Amino acid sequence: MTALTVLADDQFGAPTPDELFNLPPIIAGVDWFTKPVLLALLSTILVIGVCWAAFASPKVVPRGVQNVVEYGYMFVRDQVARPFLGKDADRWMGLLVSVFFLVLIWNVMGVIPLAQFPVASHIAFPAVLALSIYALKVYLGVKHQGAGGYFKNMMFPPGLPKPIYLLLAPIEFLSNMIIAPFTHAVRLFANMFAGHMLIAFFSMVGFWFLFEKLTPLGAGVGVVGVIMTIILTGFEMFIQFLQAFLFAMLAAMYIGGSLHPEH
Amino acid sequence: MTTAATLLAAEEGANPLIPHVYELVVGIFAFFAVVLVVGKILVPRIQKTLAERTDAIEGGIKRAEEAQAEAQALQQQYRDQLAEARHEAARLREEAREQAAQIKAELREEAQAEARRLVEAAHAQIEADRQQAFAQLRTEIGRLSTDLASRIVGESLEDEARQRRTVDRFLDELEGSGAQAVR
Amino acid sequence: MSEQERRPEDDGQDFANAAWSIPSSLLAGMAIYGGGGWLLDRWLDTSAFFPIGVVLGVVLSVYLVYRKYGR
Repeated sequence: MTALTVLADDQFGAPTPDELFNLPPIIAGVDWFTKPVLLALLSTILVIGVCWAAFASPKVVPRGVQNVVEYGYMFVRDQVARPFLGKDADRWMGLLVSVFFLVLIWNVMGVIPLAQFPVASHIAFPAVLALSIYALKVYLGVKHQGAGGYFKNMMFPPGLPKPIYLLLAPIEFLSNMIIAPFTHAVRLFANMFAGHMLIAFFSMVGFWFLFEKLTPLGAGVGVVGVIMTIILTGFEMFIQFLQAFLFAMLAAMYIGGSLHPEH
Repeated sequence: MTTAATLLAAEEGANPLIPHVYELVVGIFAFFAVVLVVGKILVPRIQKTLAERTDAIEGGIKRAEEAQAEAQALQQQYRDQLAEARHEAARLREEAREQAAQIKAELREEAQAEARRLVEAAHAQIEADRQQAFAQLRTEIGRLSTDLASRIVGESLEDEARQRRTVDRFLDELEGSGAQAVR
Repeated sequence: MSEQERRPEDDGQDFANAAWSIPSSLLAGMAIYGGGGWLLDRWLDTSAFFPIGVVLGVVLSVYLVYRKYGR
């Protein structure tokens, strides 16, 4: 961020994370009702509403909205569930489809006009999903491999010389039990956070130099800002989709790893 | 991770890595609402529909295969029938030809027999006519010769025996040459 | 998985597991042994154990990932 602030002149202030992400309540006095909360709830309603419209009474020959949502379902099934869960895929499709669609809409809120705030850029939202999946992962692991078996399979992968286990077991434990869920949430959060900052920065450059302080010298900078905003918005849409896919994919990977012990 | 770390360094206000409690609550609510409605109610429905679609497609393929097999069986049947009919026609034609040949042979035989019969009848008639003519001629010649002889000889017919011998010899000669002449 | 028969998706799964566990393992190795070294440094008032710990952690993590997925 320091590099970005140096670029700006005295009058132009680059947006700070605090300005961008610490938003005031929409209704004064109701502290919890902020823009991210509103968008999170709207996204929930949107996901449920669209899925209801598509799948409430599905037709064998799909039509309209069912076609579109079914495409998303197929994507999750073929790219996320089946590669990692195999024959168990269908049993976990409900959870994976929910995670994928919810995260996708939370992310896409970042480029939707008027909303323009990726819900997942507030760590609480990815953290809730990641923690739920983490709890499920541990529960399934203990259920399918036994409490001892689960931790033994995790910390003592077969085929290594005995003394090495003493050195490697702590790494495996930390990696699987703490770092994995942490990165699961933070990867999504950090991508949305950074993407939103970049778009906000360039759109403010464009707005400032073209509308607030229009000067012959500054106009070029403003045009660059606008162009960059457009390019980054397109790029961001790709990242939003990719991160939703990765989030659901990691969830499938963790579930699959708990159902069947690793080699 | 690095992005988050640098952002943390530039941070002035609230730490973005510390979640707000109310957002956690809203997040849990949102997640469970979606899992409950989409995951527990809607996804099983679409899974059922997709299974039905697979069934329908597989059923359709099976039906098409059945129809094709039926059509092929029908075609085979027609082909068999056609071959049979053709065979039957050939057989009938052959039979007719045989019959015709037989009839022709019979007719020819009959005609030949008739012709033979006619020729034989003609021969018999001719023979009978000849015999008759010969007999008539014989009596006629006898009478004529007697007449002639009585004229020549007159009343000197005492030697009747010689006369008779003379007539008989004359007749024998006449018969020999007459038979040759008739033939 | 060893006692089960291999399924066709296992290869893709192996690759994805390896790809995702490398950064995680590296981080864990550095944190565990770097952290241990840092604590030793503080206790003994030295400054050598922290970098040694970090390097050891990286080496162990790479060895771990190699043995688990590398063959």
